Amino acid sequence: MLGRIWAIALNTFREAVRIKVLYGVLVVVFGANFLAIVLGAMSYHEETRVAQDIGLAGMSIFGSITAILLGLFLLYNEIQRRTVHAIVSKPIERWEFVVGKWLGMALVLSVLVALFTVAMIAMLALQGNAMTTALVKATLLAWVEVLTVAAIAIFFSSFSTPFLSGIFSFAMWLIGRVTPDIEQAAKSASAWIRVVTRVALEIVPDVHLMSPSGRSDVSVHGDFVTWAYVGMASLHGLGWIVGLLALACVLFHRRDFV
Amino acid sequence: MDPAIEVRDLKKTYRTPFARRKVEALSGVSFSVERGTIFGFVGPNGAGKTTTIRTLMGLIKPTAGSAKILGHAVPSRKARAQVGFLPESPYFYDYLTIGELLDLAGRLFGMSHADRKKRSDELIERVGLARARAQSLKKFSKGMLQRAGLAQALMNNPEVVVLDEPMSGLDPIGRKEVRDLILELREKGTTVFFSSHILTDIEAIADRVAIIARGVLTAEGTPAELIRRTALGVDVMVRIAEDAAIDDLVAGADRVRRVGDQLSLTLPVDADVDAWLAKSRERGAKVISVAQRHETLEDLFLRQIANAGGSAEGRV
Repeated sequence: MLGRIWAIALNTFREAVRIKVLYGVLVVVFGANFLAIVLGAMSYHEETRVAQDIGLAGMSIFGSITAILLGLFLLYNEIQRRTVHAIVSKPIERWEFVVGKWLGMALVLSVLVALFTVAMIAMLALQGNAMTTALVKATLLAWVEVLTVAAIAIFFSSFSTPFLSGIFSFAMWLIGRVTPDIEQAAKSASAWIRVVTRVALEIVPDVHLMSPSGRSDVSVHGDFVTWAYVGMASLHGLGWIVGLLALACVLFHRRDFV
Repeated sequence: MDPAIEVRDLKKTYRTPFARRKVEALSGVSFSVERGTIFGFVGPNGAGKTTTIRTLMGLIKPTAGSAKILGHAVPSRKARAQVGFLPESPYFYDYLTIGELLDLAGRLFGMSHADRKKRSDELIERVGLARARAQSLKKFSKGMLQRAGLAQALMNNPEVVVLDEPMSGLDPIGRKEVRDLILELREKGTTVFFSSHILTDIEAIADRVAIIARGVLTAEGTPAELIRRTALGVDVMVRIAEDAAIDDLVAGADRVRRVGDQLSLTLPVDADVDAWLAKSRERGAKVISVAQRHETLEDLFLRQIANAGGSAEGRV
């Protein structure tokens, strides 16, 4: 079982490499760091803060966008181009295929996060600073976020077109990022809006948990979250990943490949 | 011993995307394929060949009925482990090389690294793609992709091989190579189930043939059983001077064709062939060939399709 999942994961990683997704990621990493240098130079002795913010935002935002795009096309293209026919006719279960695709995406996204981290460390080193524990925690949380977003995209891609999946995935990620703000806004709304909002927010992963910096006096530049928080937020992400992949597997299992 | 493939009353109904109209792709198809034989599956476009094959391979779920491969009810991972499958117009990951494609297939079959390497080297040679080893599949022609597809279908040394239009896109040499490969597989005891539009290929190599039209099996048997061995006429070919009068020679004949000094025609079954030949010799004709004409699989196929109310062009 693991061998088959790994075979699909490696092939997905290879596909992302061969279709030059990683080159695109490299361009983004260099672009982000160039931006960090420019903005740092324009700031008033805030080079370190800018390098950290751009590095973390790059991981989180570009990572999530890459996760959505990969998730949409890698699975959909398999069905559309019928490459899936030669695969699922082999002794592999369909759920193994879905999990393998996600794992392959996770590899690509991990490389992306690693590249951003290396670039951020290099930028900090140039300024005579080192990676702090807060940055390590924030990086781990950003990594969990992009893996969760990849699972969201795979879920929608298992039954929908890339266009609709893109809209749904992007909306789910965006809502998940601003859940506390929506909750706050709903407090002053009518009762039924509060109920609808509550239900809507329950079916969206709280990805804001993975980017806590800037909320309630929590900052990666000052007092950051505890390791216990990182563990709980990661478990929350993992729960959503498992749940979304399980649903994607069920939907994929029911599909006819015509 | 269970048959290699057993299909019982297989039905598949689709619904059109918007109107939700029912389209019956298979209307109770039943047949069985004995182990170690070659089974040809014939039908026009849209007849249900590919739907049957995709059901066998677990790509689509039947609306009713059942299918078994080597005694395992499909979809079954155990059955798929012993089956090699070539999809119709195969699409593979075009960023891979043939070696990488076969390695992926081998991994999915649970083969060890050494076995994958050995088997893929053998198969790349066998299907004539050794020179294209370094190229990505993106640069392969349709015929080369078909060969790559055959190679990945044989990676696990399968007991049953299911090939959907394996000769499609191949030139005459490629078609002959595929025919030889299918015959070679049977010699090794492998069961081959293949669909094709090229009836001469099926007639030449299949032990049994099934004809499907409009989702219904209209005929099944050995080619000899299916083809009527009654004479349909006598095909004659002679060489005769281009200015020689031939009106009386071609009177009552069918399929008359004169190209340069070559005249070919089909005489009726009851024609006096000796008298016709004598008359043609009087005009200075030289006989090239005389052969009795029998019904071919193609004739049978066209008759079956006509009986089913379709055309060889298929249906939408």
